[in-house]
Amino acid sequence: MVNDNREFIDEFLVESSENLDQLDRDLLALEQAPDDPERLASIFRTVHTIKGNSGFFGFSKLGALTHNGEHLLGQLRDGQLRLDDRITGSLYSMVDAVRSILRSIEATGSEGEVDLQDLTTRLAAVAADTREHARAERTVAVDAASPTPASSSAGLAADPRPVLPRAGSAPSAPAIDSPAASSAAPSPAPSPPEAVAPAPPRGEPQVPAAAPPPAAESTIRVDVALLGSIHDLVGELVLARNQLRSLEIEDPAIQAVAQRINAATNALQEVAVKTRMQPIEHLFSKFPRIVRDLAVTCGKEVHFVVDGTDTELDRTLVESIRDPLTHLIRNAVDHGIERPDVREAAGKPRAGRVMLRAYNENGQVTIEVQDDGGGMSVEAVRAKAIARGLVSAEAAARMPDERLLQFIFEPGFSTATTVTSISGRGVGMDVVKTNIESIGGAVDVHSRSGLGTTIRVRVPLTLAIMPALVIRCEGQRLAIPQVAVSELAPLRPDRPDGRIEGLDGNPVMRVHGRLVPVIFLDELLGLRERSAHREFGTVVLLRVDEREFGLVIDGLGGGSVTATRRAAEDIVSLTTIVVKPLGGLLSQIGVYAGATVLGDGDVALVLDPRGLLRAARVPSQQAEARPAAAATGAAWVESDRYLVCRTSGGRRVAVPLNEVTRLEHYPANQLQPVAGRKVIRRHGGFTPVVDVDALLGVPAAPTPEMVHLVIVGDTGLAVRQILDVVAAESPLHPHLSMPGVVGSLSLGGVATEVLDLAPPLMRSLAVAP
Amino acid sequence: MTTAGETATLDACCFIVAGHHFAVESACVEEILRGGRPTRVPLAPPEVSGVLHLRGRIVPVIDMRRRLRLAAEGAAAIHVIIRAGDEWYDLLVDDVLGVQSFPRGRIEEPGGDGLHDPRVGVVADDGHLVHLLDPQRIVQPLFRQRTSPVITHGASHVGSVA
Repeated sequence: MVNDNREFIDEFLVESSENLDQLDRDLLALEQAPDDPERLASIFRTVHTIKGNSGFFGFSKLGALTHNGEHLLGQLRDGQLRLDDRITGSLYSMVDAVRSILRSIEATGSEGEVDLQDLTTRLAAVAADTREHARAERTVAVDAASPTPASSSAGLAADPRPVLPRAGSAPSAPAIDSPAASSAAPSPAPSPPEAVAPAPPRGEPQVPAAAPPPAAESTIRVDVALLGSIHDLVGELVLARNQLRSLEIEDPAIQAVAQRINAATNALQEVAVKTRMQPIEHLFSKFPRIVRDLAVTCGKEVHFVVDGTDTELDRTLVESIRDPLTHLIRNAVDHGIERPDVREAAGKPRAGRVMLRAYNENGQVTIEVQDDGGGMSVEAVRAKAIARGLVSAEAAARMPDERLLQFIFEPGFSTATTVTSISGRGVGMDVVKTNIESIGGAVDVHSRSGLGTTIRVRVPLTLAIMPALVIRCEGQRLAIPQVAVSELAPLRPDRPDGRIEGLDGNPVMRVHGRLVPVIFLDELLGLRERSAHREFGTVVLLRVDEREFGLVIDGLGGGSVTATRRAAEDIVSLTTIVVKPLGGLLSQIGVYAGATVLGDGDVALVLDPRGLLRAARVPSQQAEARPAAAATGAAWVESDRYLVCRTSGGRRVAVPLNEVTRLEHYPANQLQPVAGRKVIRRHGGFTPVVDVDALLGVPAAPTPEMVHLVIVGDTGLAVRQILDVVAAESPLHPHLSMPGVVGSLSLGGVATEVLDLAPPLMRSLAVAP
Repeated sequence: MTTAGETATLDACCFIVAGHHFAVESACVEEILRGGRPTRVPLAPPEVSGVLHLRGRIVPVIDMRRRLRLAAEGAAAIHVIIRAGDEWYDLLVDDVLGVQSFPRGRIEEPGGDGLHDPRVGVVADDGHLVHLLDPQRIVQPLFRQRTSPVITHGASHVGSVA
């Protein structure tokens, strides 16, 4: 393969991948209506195109495979055989094989080591059968119709490799059009005119060339990266425009130009947003095939309905919901829909119905996965929730059904009695929820036992552009997505409605008679210690996942400043922001959804309301119902869990668990001294070993027989004993002057030192290499 | 450091942090800026002093004094924008000396203890040492999220390696 071809091959891959999706759709449709000549022609054309291209690029396996497929399709099309399960199966296998070869070409540039002998043989066998079958049919046709001109055309039609039909050909032209011929042929006395006359519109799709539909000419392919840079540049332009607007321009000529730039920039931004949007069909089109295969595997009959495929969504979001939706649909087929006999016994139609539906609602996209299966048993969920200690029996008894069902999104929660290979196993729904929430969406469930289940997923149209409240907190400007904001309220210590209570435990505020938990933003972000007296300030009431909480964005009370005036200073503006990703390093903090560039060119961080709730550990409504829920209002964002060890010197130390990559144990004699330090040979390389006592500046105790290593980064920390993994029970109390230690906290009820893993590496700077 | 197919010299952008000389391969350097007003990011790792907006990207600013645990007087104000993987990072340093070519043969292994050490080589140059830093290694320890630990029992495992 010549390198110059790469570009064409890429194009071929993209085009073929789209063609394969079309093939899946066509095959599914064909199963419903096996006699649809247009479908058959479309499938034939697609396979033919792939075959032609693979010949051009010299992909011989692909060529051979599609040749056999095309051959079989040709016979189907020519009416030598009716579609049956075996043929459909072979055709699906062919599509899968073509897909895997294309994937291999994409990854490695070659067709890979796929063994296609089996499949090729199978396709050939099916085709051979067809030939037998066809011969018999032909005989019947000839015998029955020999005196009429129809005989010749029926005979020609049996030729597996038909010649290109000429447009407007005479009635004696080959009767390539199959269904009429095929349905007519087996009957002892076919009606000749029916068999002979190819309807002109049907002849048209049989042009074997790769003729794309005319609609394709109005679109071109654009590299996603290129689109990305266009969006970035539009963002820059918007910024410059904002700066231009803030200038005082005297010259009317320049003013006019500035106005035109302004208008053009607005229009450009709007268009740029549109280019991000993609109809959800691209995603939905994959599902019919998944449902079909799954239904076959589970022995179920499923009628799959898709609606609202033209609903548009940011293409990056389309990718993010692919896995969660696949999971939900699998669940619906595997756990939702009952087996046909069970359904019949329950007085339902044998075939279950799974509906996938998308629509726009309140500036968001809602996607529903609905099945008319067995539904979930609220009682089973209730029992499971109590058994797992998620809720007390009394609280569960009081809980409305809708609330109880939401427990299925708890990690490890499953009510399926049989575990299948397809879904179940108690994993999944929590992952679905996490994934959907990570893109600012929400998911809920409604179910009626015996009637079915509906899972509703709501996602924002786009994460890139959103209206937001820009606020000021301790001199720092931050943006809050407006979709989460329900209300703004001033702090009013002189009134019961607007006063914060319970400062030491869980601060709450009374809003319209409701008690709402409160988070102090400055304190959560570590910008200020909690001050006991917050007289003035503004509370932004936020609602996330049906949970309401107040965010105190500034609590600094100046004596003479009125509450209203204060609020005006806290809230900078309500504006549309362009959200840019923060990158992995800062996303991990968990309270920011991104960053945006404000009109004056400064960067403002965009707060993630859900992340704030998590970081502040505001007890959830479910946790409130938990008997043992340790409700803490304190905010600390240190890593949650620690590995607790004992050093050779007997000290109890901890390492944040997320720093630890592995725990390994070696006989002490495996340690080798190299250049005054100890290393161990592992994974074919040498890993330096640091005794934790040395890190703490304590003389090392004699080495025991077994060395326990905590692998952190590319170093092994030697400890005497690995004790446990424990969740932090208090914020980290920093020690500034102790070598090797960043601070201490309470772990398992015992004060434990946390090791400083940022290295004293510069000690070695003084040593010349 | 040297592998087949590499050139005989390594072009590196040299800079100073707290009096010590450091360098990153110039191929990783996107841009060098003077001044700039980073926006601070509450709750970020202590080494991250904020973010800057640069050509459509939000770039984390890494205070190299803190990252390297070196103390110095005055404010560092030169930003070396580097690429590590797909992302950009801004290294806040004291001064930039420019691009220098080092013969690869003279680059030696660093003598650090390996714990989060960003150095991949050391080279003596004009009476002082220049520490070559690897962009990925500068950034890596700042990430808190790792895969959960896997416990293996070394005895059998080591047996096969040794």
